[in-house]
This record gives sequence, C-alpha cells and structure tokens, in this order.
Amino acid sequence: MTPALQSSISRSNYFSNCTHCGFCLAVCPTYKLTGDENNSPRGRLRLWSEEASGRLSKDKWTDFYTEECVGCLACETACPATVPYGELFEQTRHQHVASNRFKPKLQLRLASAAVQRLLIFNLAMLPTRLLRRMGARVHRFLFPGRPAVFQSTAAYADELMQRHRPTGPRVAFLTGCLMEAAFREINFATLRVLIENNCRVIIPEGQGCCGAFQEHTGLDGVEKLRAQNRRAFCSLDVDAIVSNSSGCGYALGKALHPNQQVRDVLGFLGELGPVKRQRANNDETRVYVDLPCHLVHGQKMEGIPTKVLDATGYHWELAPNAKDCCGSGGVYNIQKPENAHAILKEKSAFLNEAEGAPVILATSNHVCMMQWHSAGVAGLVTRPYEVRHVIQLLDPREEVFS
Amino acid sequence: MMGPWRSFVLKASSIDISTHKHSLVKSSLESQLKTLLPRGRVFTSAAQLAGYGADGLGYKNHIPDAVVIPADAEELVGFMKGAKALHVPVILRGAGTSLSGGPVAAQGGVIVHTSALKRIREMNVKGFWCEVECGVALNDLDAALKPHGVFYPPDPSSGPVCTLGGNVASNAGGAHCFRYGVTSNYVLGVEAVTLDGTVHRFGGPAGGRGPWREDWKRFMIGSEGTLAAFTRFWLRLLPLPEKVWTFRATYPDLKTTEAAIHALVAHTSYPAAIEMLDPRGVAMVESSQMACGLPEGSFMLLVEIDGPEPLVNARVEPVAELLRRAGSKDVMFSDEDELRKKLWKARKAAGGLLGQLSPAYVVQDAVIPKRALAEVLQLVYDEADAAGIPAVNVFHAGDGNLHPNFLFDSRVPGDLDKVELISKRLMQRVIEVGGTLSGEHGIGNDKSSYMPLVFGPDSMRLQLAVPASFNPAHQMNPLKVFDNRRFAA
Ligand SMILES: Cc1cc2nc3c(=O)[nH]c(=O)nc-3n(C[C@H](O)[C@H](O)[C@H](O)COP(=O)(O)OP(=O)(O)OC[C@H]3O[C@@H](n4cnc5c(N)ncnc54)[C@H](O)[C@@H]3O)c2cc1C
Ligand code: SF4
Ligand code: SF4
Repeated sequence: MTPALQSSISRSNYFSNCTHCGFCLAVCPTYKLTGDENNSPRGRLRLWSEEASGRLSKDKWTDFYTEECVGCLACETACPATVPYGELFEQTRHQHVASNRFKPKLQLRLASAAVQRLLIFNLAMLPTRLLRRMGARVHRFLFPGRPAVFQSTAAYADELMQRHRPTGPRVAFLTGCLMEAAFREINFATLRVLIENNCRVIIPEGQGCCGAFQEHTGLDGVEKLRAQNRRAFCSLDVDAIVSNSSGCGYALGKALHPNQQVRDVLGFLGELGPVKRQRANNDETRVYVDLPCHLVHGQKMEGIPTKVLDATGYHWELAPNAKDCCGSGGVYNIQKPENAHAILKEKSAFLNEAEGAPVILATSNHVCMMQWHSAGVAGLVTRPYEVRHVIQLLDPREEVFS
Repeated sequence: MMGPWRSFVLKASSIDISTHKHSLVKSSLESQLKTLLPRGRVFTSAAQLAGYGADGLGYKNHIPDAVVIPADAEELVGFMKGAKALHVPVILRGAGTSLSGGPVAAQGGVIVHTSALKRIREMNVKGFWCEVECGVALNDLDAALKPHGVFYPPDPSSGPVCTLGGNVASNAGGAHCFRYGVTSNYVLGVEAVTLDGTVHRFGGPAGGRGPWREDWKRFMIGSEGTLAAFTRFWLRLLPLPEKVWTFRATYPDLKTTEAAIHALVAHTSYPAAIEMLDPRGVAMVESSQMACGLPEGSFMLLVEIDGPEPLVNARVEPVAELLRRAGSKDVMFSDEDELRKKLWKARKAAGGLLGQLSPAYVVQDAVIPKRALAEVLQLVYDEADAAGIPAVNVFHAGDGNLHPNFLFDSRVPGDLDKVELISKRLMQRVIEVGGTLSGEHGIGNDKSSYMPLVFGPDSMRLQLAVPASFNPAHQMNPLKVFDNRRFAA
C-alpha cells in the first residue's frame, strides 16, 4: 500500500468506521457464492485495514480476495455506518495493479488503452457495428441490434434537432465509449426519446470515456479522462447532463463538480413524464425489469421510475431480486468468468419459467445487457427472450429483432 | 567480544527453530484438516485467517490457527469425529455477529464456519414447524415462510445476516420478544454433534423434552458453542398476525418515558414490542440516511400491537391515549407497511449506525427489573459523562434489557480501560438492583469476567460441570462464559 493511500485512509478513518456488524454479508454476491468471510465486504475491509496497519504482511490471498469483488456496491447500500466501500475498493485495486500485485487480462489492458482514444476506438469497432447490423452473432456478449455503421450519435443528434426543433430543457448527453462504438443504436434511441419529449439535446465536443473501464480494471487513466470530461461538460449552460448507461453516469458523476449532477436518462424522463407508447390489446409481451447495481447502489436511485416503465405500454414487472447483481460488474465477467457465470445462473433462472410471449429482459446499462444476453448463449436460459435497454422500449421507432 | 556474539547466534537459531516448528505444526494441522474435510475448505494462510479474527465487536482480534468450511452436515459430523485428535480448540461460527466475543478463537484453534449449511429442509405449514440447517440466515427463513402465512417470532436486529445456529447457541432475543418470547420458546428440537462425532437428537418436530422427563434441548440453547456443534433444528411457527399497528411516541425526559413503559407493560393490549431510543440514539438516526423525523432531544418509544384485526383496531386508541397520558405530546401510529418498516429499519440498524459516530463501541446487555430503569440509565449517563465517553442507549425496554453502547476509539490509549471501568460499575449496580448480565447477546469472552459478580464459587462449579461432561478438556470454545474454562491439550 502506498503512503498516499495509507494517509488518505488514516485521514478519513474509513476502515475503522466499519463496526463489523456484518449487515453487508447478506447482500454480497461473492459471500453468497462462497460462504467465505474473507470474500465479503467486511472481510475485505478487514484484510486491507490489517495490512494498512502493518499487522498483516502482503499476502497473495489478500490480492485474491480483492480481485474477487464484483464492485456491485450492494454493500454500500446495506451499510448503516456508511463505510465508503466503493472508494476504498477502487483505491486498493488501483494500488494492486500499480504495484503488480494484480494484472488485468491482456484484452482488458488493450481495451483500456483503446477507449482512451475514442476516434481510433470507434474506427477499430467499425467491423463490430457492421456485423451486428447484418445480424451476425459475433460474440457471446454482443446482443442483437442494428447500430448505424458510419453516422455518429453527434451527427444524428444534429439531424434530429434540425428536423424537430424541440424547445424544452437543454440536455447534454454522454455518448460513452462502448455505447458509441458498439451499441450506437441505444444512443440513437435515446436521442429520439429525448427529442420526442421536447428536450434540446447537446452532444458536448471533446468528451471522453467516463473512466469506469479504468475504475473496474484498476488501470491508469481515470484522472486524465475525468479532467477531459470536466473540460467538456463543466462550462456548459444546460438544464441537465444525462447518461443512458447507469455505470457511465455514475462514473461521470465522480468526475464533475459536486453541484453538477449527472442524471440517468430514465430518472430524468421520469420527472418529465415521457410520451407513452401504445400497444395492441392482444400484445402478450412481458417485460422483466432488472435494476443495474450502479443505478441503485451507485447513483442511489430507488429504481427506474414507474412512470417511465408504464410509458413503455408493456405489461412489466421487476425481475426477481432486481436489485441484486447479475455478475456483469463492468468487466468482471471477463476477469472472473466462473464467478460471473455462477451469479448469473442463479439470477437468470426465473426466465426459463417466466410468463409472456415474447419475453423481454430490460435494464439500463449496456454491460448488464451483455451479461443477460450471455445467459442464453451459455444455455442458462433455454427459452427465447430479448434483452433491451428500457429506453428502447420508449423509442418511437422501436425495432423488434426476434 | 565473545559474549554478545554467542548470544546473537543463540538467539538467531532459537528463532529459526521456533518458526520452523510452528510452520511444521501448522502444516500438519492443515493436512489433518484436509483429510477430515475432503470436500469442504481449509484455510491456514495469514490473510485467510484475518477475516475470521473478530465477531460483531470488531475492535477485538483473536486470530485462529485455521478455519474450515464444511461442505455439508455430513462433513461437519466427520470433522467432529476427528476433531478431538487435533488437540486444538474448536469454535463454531455462524455469521459472526455476536456482540460478546462468542465465535472467536480466544485460545487459538479451528473455527468451523457453517455458511454452507443453509438449507431449509422442510416447511410443515399445517403442523406449524420447520426444519432448518444451522447456517440458514434468519431473514431468509422469514422470507420463505411469509408466503405461507406463518412466521418464526424471534427477531434479533441482526436478522438479515445472523444464522439460526448462532441464534440457538446464544438464545437470541429481539424487539418482539417482549410478547413472543425468545429463541428457546420456539426450538422444538436440536440435532447436535459432540466431539466424539456422535450425533444426538434432543426433541424433534413434535417438540417434547427428550428421552424422558428432562428437557435436554434446553441444555443446548444458549450454550454458546461450549457443548456441541448444532447441525439442524426443528422450530415452532405461528400464524402471521392479521393486523399490526406501530406507535411512535416521544418524551421529554427519562421519568415520563419510564412511566409510559410501566403503563404499557401493565396494559391489557399486551404489546408485542416496547423499544426505546434515548436522545443520542434519536440524534444518530436523524443525522443518518435512516432519518424519520424524530424530534431533537427526545426519548422515543417504539411500540407495536398485533393480532386479529377487529381486536387490534379496537386497541389502537387506548394505547395512544396511554402514551399521551404518560406525558407524550407527540404520539403517532400507523398500520401502513412502508411507514412501519422505516421506523423498524432505523431501530434495527442502530448498532451499525454507531459506526457513523465512532470507530468502535462496547455494548452491554444487562437485564434489570423495570422499576430500576430510570435509575440505572442515569447511572450510565453520569458515569459515561464523567469519563468523557459518549453513551447511546437503544434497547428492549419492555423486557428491561438494556443496551448501553459506549463509544470509544481503540487507538486512543486508555479509552477502552475507561469503558471497562464504567461497564464494571454498571454491572455491579445491575446486580444490586436484582438484575443479570446478559439478556440475549450471551457472555462469550467479553462478559465472562463479570460472572463472579452474579455467581458464587459453588454455583460456578456446578455450571462448569456441564461443559466438562460434554468435553472434559474444554476443547469446545474455551475461554468463553467462564474465564477459567481453558483447553488443556
Ligand atoms: C447490529 C447487531 C444487532 C444485534 N441485535 C441483536 C438482538 O436484537 N438480539 C440478539 O439476541 N442479538 C443481537 N445481536 C447479536 C447477534 O446477532 C446474535 O447473538 C446472533 O444470534 C448471532 O448469530 P450469528 O449467526 O452471527 O452467530 P455467531 O456470532 O457466529 O456465533 C454466536 C455464538 O453461537 C455459537 N454458534 C454459532 N453457530 C453454532 C452452531 N452451529 N453450533 C453451535 N454453536 C454455534 C458460536 O460459537 C458463538 O458462541 C446483534 C448483533 C449486531 C451486530
Ligand atoms: S462491491 Fe459487491 S461484491 Fe464487492 S464486497 Fe461489496 S457487495 Fe461484495
Ligand atoms: S455493513 Fe458496514 S459497518 Fe457493517 S460490517 Fe459491513 S462495512 Fe462494516
């Protein structure tokens, strides 16, 4: 542990805030999976504080248990003592990577470098967009969708703004890295929904990846990206800064000034009262809504507003244990595939018996969508189902892929 | 020249030998454990043991020699069969939420974590009983029972995580135990494995006391892991109450609060719960994410009545009137689940909320005759204020079960000594007014030094004979309950 981390810890007294009550054990996916106290929030905090105080020397098991954490932040919500677990975890993981105690997988290191140069990343991902658009199943995480291959979200926003000339709130939109490079169709749907609801959308120039990727891997670059986003967002005269991915929104929130709140697009629409979609009377579609960890435990939202879910026009209900992690954890399903699979297995089992035809699993974070899609590919869910972003269910040009 | 050189050589070699010996002992323990638990897990490295150093009293650390997680009940039995020959203490651990130093390795040894034994084996709704493994979390059982219209009444505030094994071993209570009674009132049967690996069943689904007249299972309940390892239980269930009303009343001082408690206890509405938060507890809740609009500087009573709907509805106004008459100008009540849950959440999270105020705390668990409530609480405040130690009181007032929390910083020299001194004076007074050491948290190694305050040498000798007849060398959870209960290998 570096002196900087050590001093930040002793300054804030973070570790010792933990009264060891154990409330966080009950919600922790890795504790539930392993039954090992070290693999719980209380256990990890203990290991880090013992090491910081010099009572425990560096140990490969401390590294192992640190890596095991999904980063879902359910423990923060459960903790009555408000121990800032997420912050401590992020600092510790970064330290472990910086001191070679932990090395993220090669593909993650490459991707982390790539997302810091969005132009190149978007170009490199062109074949992925093309293949998705053609309906090819290229990877277990790539859910079906038809992204624009060449037109960017910014260009599309210009086009829509010219055509519709909305007059309502001015909204700055974070386009994201993977969202823009691979899942652009969700950005496009977001624009259509915002503009249909009379929002004036601005795509700030010079914005970068939110930094969540680096936070999840412990790799360098977070501060640079945060500074870049501060430059892009902080001087804007807008009514709201919105993101359509709860993880990215949460990460961008950490970069901006405290008085500049980043809103989840669904929360923002909930306040506006979005235009409602009409469905046929005999529509048997059933939507099961899962709540991303970074929406409920990160951004501390109660959930996705009922008004928004009602506006989809579909018969919807929350997925069982909707606030529990699906195992995605940003890049956890790549770094720790076995754990992620086991968590998803439990979480997705209900879909096999779920009522509805078709069945849609809707959420509001692209990495969770990837994880949910993989449940079908991995044979955990054996009946047909679609994975959608809730914003796509509000889209005036909703597309159906099944 | 020769002297220091010689002594250096000797010293170095003696360190060498002892570490070598230690690691040999450790590796032999590890290999023996691996043989006993072919499917479960065995931990012996420093970082794996660190997570098992403490229970709910996080500031006290007792590092075990090993931790095992048996894969299932069968493996736990197998482990117990061979455990005697390990010649180290054996300590059972559920969720590790004990507030008395129960599931920690005070004399080293092997911690047996029951986290894999979490099956609800049967819910016999018509017969009003269920059969659960010892590692089932209390609230998981509640959630499984609820759709069937039945419930298991004991409700310690640690419900989201504490296990039934821990509940039975410490005879846990909770907010609703004022009317419903504690764990022992709901245990129909216990399956226990002693250190020779023999499995004993005391009681069962039909309840009953045992092979003949004696209620053997009562020996097991509250035994704090000193007699045997429990694998499963048969528990008594009740129908869920049809209607519940929750009251919140605030009082300006201790005297009026105490009057209200006496009136409630004597009232024919027979409340299910009578809980109290003092002004510091109220302030703690109000400055947290659990804030629910409690007036500053007040003592709060949280009261609940339940039962058949018409009956309970008819009792609402009389209870409200009683609370007002005792001196509250601020009585509120509700039957809405959301409001009620919010109040209860704030009450039940109080132990954890303390972390927002202080890095560490010691909580006492004395039970006193209710007539002495105001007097003993005043003593808590006076002693704590004089020592400069903040005290927060949040407790089961109906049962006279005090929980003064003394906040301190374990890194400040002398702080803990002050807390221990206050605790000792408090306990002395508790005994003088006819009270006792622990209502529900157990004695563990945190309160064992107070035992001689209550029990004379003859009584202690008799009590010690019980664990001695189960494991004569006191291999099960030594240094707990009795200070001198030490394992002699
Ligand atoms: C915030 C908070 C609030 C609390 N509120 C209450 C409350 O309202 N009422 C109350 O009574 N307690 C309360 N407690 C104390 C504690 O939660 C209870 O004592 C609980 O019963 C302990 O359960 P556990 O699973 O954590 O057991 P542990 O702490 O792991 O163990 C407790 C004791 O049981 C023994 N044990 C555990 N499993 C077995 C087994 N299978 N066989 C034999 N022995 C076993 C252990 O050796 C130990 O002596 C609270 C604790 C906290 C942290
Ligand atoms: S962030 Fe999630 S996985 Fe990590 S310790 Fe907290 S609850 Fe467990
Ligand atoms: S819930 Fe918070 S205070 Fe309690 S053990 Fe977990 S981190 Fe510590």
